[in-house]
Amino acid sequence: MNATKNKPAEQVTPSGKGLFQSLQDFLASIKFSIILLSCIAFGSILGTVIKQGAGQDEYLSLYSEGTYRAITLLGLNDVYHSPWFIALLFLFAINLTLCTLRRFMPLFRGDKKVSVPEESAMMGTSMNFRTNANVDDTSISLILKGYRRVYSGVEGKVFQKGALSKYGVLLIHTSIMLILIGGFVGLVAGFKGFMILQKGDMKNTITIAGERPHEKPLGFALRCKEFQVSFYPNGAPKDYVSTVEVIEDDKTILEKQIRVNKPLSYKGIHIYQASYGSTPSFSFKIGNDRVTLKEKEAYRKDNIVLMPVRFEMNIHNFGPGVMVAYLDQGEPRTVWFLKNIERFNEKNIQGMPVRFVDVQENLYTGLSVSKDPGIWIVWAGFAFILYGLYINFFLYYRRIYIRNCAGGQIVAGVAMKNKEAFKQEFEDLRRKFDGISS
Amino acid sequence: MAFHHKILGIVTLLYLCLFLLHIIYFAVKKEKIITFIWILLYGTLGLHTVGLILRWIESYQHGIGHAPLSNFYESLVFYSWCISLILIAMKQKLKYPVITLCCTLISLFLMGYASISPAVDRNIQPLVPALQSNWLHIHVLTCFLAYASFAVSFVCGFLYMFTWKGIIPPRDTLDEINYRSVIVGFPMLSAGIFTGAVWAHYAWGSYWSWDPKETWSLITWIVYAVFLHARLVRGWKGKKIAVLSIIGFVSVIFTYFGVNFILSGLHSYAT
Repeated sequence: MNATKNKPAEQVTPSGKGLFQSLQDFLASIKFSIILLSCIAFGSILGTVIKQGAGQDEYLSLYSEGTYRAITLLGLNDVYHSPWFIALLFLFAINLTLCTLRRFMPLFRGDKKVSVPEESAMMGTSMNFRTNANVDDTSISLILKGYRRVYSGVEGKVFQKGALSKYGVLLIHTSIMLILIGGFVGLVAGFKGFMILQKGDMKNTITIAGERPHEKPLGFALRCKEFQVSFYPNGAPKDYVSTVEVIEDDKTILEKQIRVNKPLSYKGIHIYQASYGSTPSFSFKIGNDRVTLKEKEAYRKDNIVLMPVRFEMNIHNFGPGVMVAYLDQGEPRTVWFLKNIERFNEKNIQGMPVRFVDVQENLYTGLSVSKDPGIWIVWAGFAFILYGLYINFFLYYRRIYIRNCAGGQIVAGVAMKNKEAFKQEFEDLRRKFDGISS
Repeated sequence: MAFHHKILGIVTLLYLCLFLLHIIYFAVKKEKIITFIWILLYGTLGLHTVGLILRWIESYQHGIGHAPLSNFYESLVFYSWCISLILIAMKQKLKYPVITLCCTLISLFLMGYASISPAVDRNIQPLVPALQSNWLHIHVLTCFLAYASFAVSFVCGFLYMFTWKGIIPPRDTLDEINYRSVIVGFPMLSAGIFTGAVWAHYAWGSYWSWDPKETWSLITWIVYAVFLHARLVRGWKGKKIAVLSIIGFVSVIFTYFGVNFILSGLHSYAT
């Protein structure tokens, strides 16, 4: 529809043009947009083909050392956050802005006065006809259903519809900018981490993953009151629910069940049910004490120091076993306890009988915690873009000019898009006008 | 075999009938056959809808009620349903039976693959927690309507490469239908990506996580954005546009099938 408007930007730089001007032209050209979009698409493909964010060992098992070095050097192990990919997006934002400004400046600056063209000009358009008598205003407004009168004078009138469609592209492009800005805001001012809680646990920090994982204070604490998983008969998970309390200044602010698809929001921070798992804990009878230890949790009493270090559900079909490290007169040693075998579930350590009584699975809930202040900008971008696409593709800008002349009227029509359909509509108009004036 | 499987089996046969009717039309060139083809297409779509609804109802009888949009089998059946729907929606534009021929052939292939392939599990499966959301319906519907429109666009682009007088429509017409189907598909794809993003925000905690499916849908979106700009701004027509619509559909196929089978990610519900 606008084949000519953007042409000057791509012409070979005339000798009079400065370098700056030609650079600006290139940055605002549709050719540059297509190059950039192709590069972004290509980069994205690389990101789906090469495994992202894996550890060094994993890459070395897939690629040679030289390839691995190239991958890390080019940031291909994290394409979407690599400097060159972000630079591409940034250039695209510049290109989009310039492109849009160039195209729409005339729309706002241009002479907006509507007038009825001269008789000769109207006869020169591809769609026009003459009527034999004057058709009065009420009949015209009946015939031109859906049209709005934008000009009325002694010499004639102008009607139009779908004028909004002229702004479709502007709205779409602005919305894309909004989405990019929203994404950027989220990147700068947001965060995403996770928190693992067992039933009864309380935490006020989350773990931010990355090259250097670290803890981040949340400003409030979460306590897991209850966690339940249910399964379908075929073994697939059906539902996982964490009952979580939000605790701030030692006061319980609210309590909510978090499920997949039903996050908890508090102070702009969203808490999602992301995963679950279980860790074993082991019951021992040491002397007359009964103690429960988790993996890598040390027990110290008198001269006894011991710690469960490894757990296997089934050792050589003998059932669950746990490997315990202990100090024997200052010397570190390990021993396997097998729960179900009489001979192997008890041992004297430093003269004290230690008996492996039981193993329990403790469910934990994996919560994903994130904050994204840019989210509403992105949502607005989505809504506007869809509206923009609708008005751009499904509303058609049409104008009808009616000029009073000797012995009747001249009617001419102009359409920007979907001209075939307009031709039919215009033929209908002609018939209706003829029906009234004859 | 459940009752809805029988209905969908008949639907597959009807697509085969539609295909054969087209062939008969080209042999005898009677306009009446065209009218009958359209009537049969309406009927097939109706029965197809009945089949989907029966599967939906049956899932409730299993106690795991959900719309039949959740696994690979259901998506194949739904894809061919969407293609028929788009054909009927674009009926005014599709006066050339070769286009409906190619589209019903795609539907036939999808239905046949869904009901025959040993790699496809045809049972009703329960929904994993991530899929238990109302966003499922609107997300899948918009995405597959987009895929279906792009299938029509691909058919036009593909036919553009050949000339066969009396059978393949004039090139300008193909070009026009190609463009028309893309302007239906592109907003639908956008809506599909956006509903997916909003859903991802509620289910996974971030609206965009560069999951392979998301990334490939973006790549597809870019290809069709380039298509529209090339045509509307640069005035591309004809062969170049046809090639772009073919590239676009290759990208659609990769987004739909390729990602599930070749790449793994959050969207791996397919198998």
